[in-house]
Amino acid sequence: MQTFVTEAVDWPGTAPDLREQVRALVAAHGERDPVRRANCWTKANPQFSKKLGEAGLLGMTWPKEYGGHERSQLERYVVIEELLAAGAPVGAHWIADRQSGPLLLRLGNEELKRRWVPEIARGEAFACIGLSEPGSGSDLASVRTTARRDGSDWVIDGQKVWTSGAHVSHFMIALVRSEAGSERQQGLSQFVIPMDTPGVTVKPITDLTGAHEFNEVFFDAVRLPAHALLGEEGAGWKQATAELSLERSGPERYLSSMVLFLELVRHAETAQDPALAELVGRLAAEAWTLRLMSASVAAKLARGEDPALEATMVKDLGNSYEQAIPQLVQAAVDWERIDAQVVQAVCFYLLQVSPSFSLRGGTREIVKGIIARGLGLR
Amino acid sequence: MSDTRRMLAEMADPLFAELGADATMDRDGARLEQLGLPALLMPEADGGFGGDWMDALTVFRLAGYHALAIDLPAMIVAKTAGEGTEAHFALMAFARTAQIAGALDAALALSVGYVNERQQFGRPLGKFQAVQQSLAGFACEAAAANCAAVGAAQALERGDAGFEIAAAKLRANRAVEVGTTVAHQVHGAIGFTHEYGLHPLTRRLWQWRSEYGNDAYWSKRLGTMVVDAGADSFWPGLTARTD
Repeated sequence: MQTFVTEAVDWPGTAPDLREQVRALVAAHGERDPVRRANCWTKANPQFSKKLGEAGLLGMTWPKEYGGHERSQLERYVVIEELLAAGAPVGAHWIADRQSGPLLLRLGNEELKRRWVPEIARGEAFACIGLSEPGSGSDLASVRTTARRDGSDWVIDGQKVWTSGAHVSHFMIALVRSEAGSERQQGLSQFVIPMDTPGVTVKPITDLTGAHEFNEVFFDAVRLPAHALLGEEGAGWKQATAELSLERSGPERYLSSMVLFLELVRHAETAQDPALAELVGRLAAEAWTLRLMSASVAAKLARGEDPALEATMVKDLGNSYEQAIPQLVQAAVDWERIDAQVVQAVCFYLLQVSPSFSLRGGTREIVKGIIARGLGLR
Repeated sequence: MSDTRRMLAEMADPLFAELGADATMDRDGARLEQLGLPALLMPEADGGFGGDWMDALTVFRLAGYHALAIDLPAMIVAKTAGEGTEAHFALMAFARTAQIAGALDAALALSVGYVNERQQFGRPLGKFQAVQQSLAGFACEAAAANCAAVGAAQALERGDAGFEIAAAKLRANRAVEVGTTVAHQVHGAIGFTHEYGLHPLTRRLWQWRSEYGNDAYWSKRLGTMVVDAGADSFWPGLTARTD
């Protein structure tokens, strides 16, 4: 039995130049405050997203015809791991660049593609994902928001919840029930809903730190034209779950606390505490391993394979790692020291937000269930 | 996988399976010599096999998978680095990493097979969520150890592997804890018997975790390396090693 077959990742020859480009851009336009660099892919900064778009670093792999740059998947991987490691504020465009754009290009009709894809690549259009509902969290197939036909239009009624970035997004790709009376995974379709459509209301949900990152989104007789249907009517479940490998194995699944690790190293440089050096060693070994695993999955995805089990393992290990960092740092650092202030601020911030790491994108229990099925256990 | 490496695996796998945990140098050493395995890393010009570090990884991992009682990895390493040297210690740490990776995969396979077969409360143990979640965690640890071993082998191929061997042995050591714990837990009492084939794997795993650098040793070394280089060098250093 070998569940995770690693391979030598053939890093693109352009990687060093791309890294330099990203590092310079982040140094000029990124966040200085280490606390704001933590968990950076939830931090929306539309100006920064626009800078990335102007630099040709969004929609990197997409056809030029739609504003993309026809670079390789691994070149994109280099760029996103650099952005995340530097704590760049990539939250505004993250979903659109990672999955909404590719989904539109794969399944969208011409009108949808022309309307949204070039704007995403310019860093001017942002997207959110409408999956969870009040009665539908991990059990996603219990979606109740409906779409019904009215002439050639569709009319959407219902509610989504925990929608990250809905308040800065220009459109949502929502999974809704388009066949009245259908059950579970059947009768679901995906729709592209412009957030400024009459009948769409976004209400903020304040998180435990007082920040506003996710929302409730209400649909009250929201009227959409026929071309708002994404892909095939009734195939929403398959479409929505098809690209989960892409979503689960990215470097954002292990780098959310990287800034705290780096501040720990900085603190250890002056603190001269052997216990801190040991912790640095342990966390460095894990970061190195996870980078190898995540990149290995990216290489397989780039070849058109679907390493679903491996991708899910990266998410589980990566989330555990980014959650463990603040816990271990809290346990190890001497908080009486005057030079511990920065590491303390980042640590205490991440302690509070890190519970979300093993909830978003599939809870730990769901993820482990998927791994178990991959092992042949159910 | 290259053709020679596949050939190597096809030769080593059934042989190590046959020799396994009962192998002795006196009885079986000659068979390994005949196949030229101890000379795996020696150049062909010197009568060796001319293998590279990925070949070594394949053989070391299979030795671990089958809990081969002859320390073939040590025989192979001894022909490339003198005992007592720093290089020898590092290469043996790499060997133990690969053996841990193999043994974890073997213990995982045994565990999955067992829980799918063993019935309690009218269904296989593998149907219980608690058992599934434990084994999923084990699988992740086994995967991490395997990836770490591959990463170290790739670094050896590139040249300087000081950082990677330290990180890989440390990561593999840490995987031993979850792996051995879960493997024994899901097996129940049968896994604790001398008769059943789990202990040759788990007892070696505990041994290999200690040998050539335990967790404390490698985390100190690696941590000192990282702290001395400085926070701002960590990420650029990591990426420069593979670019």
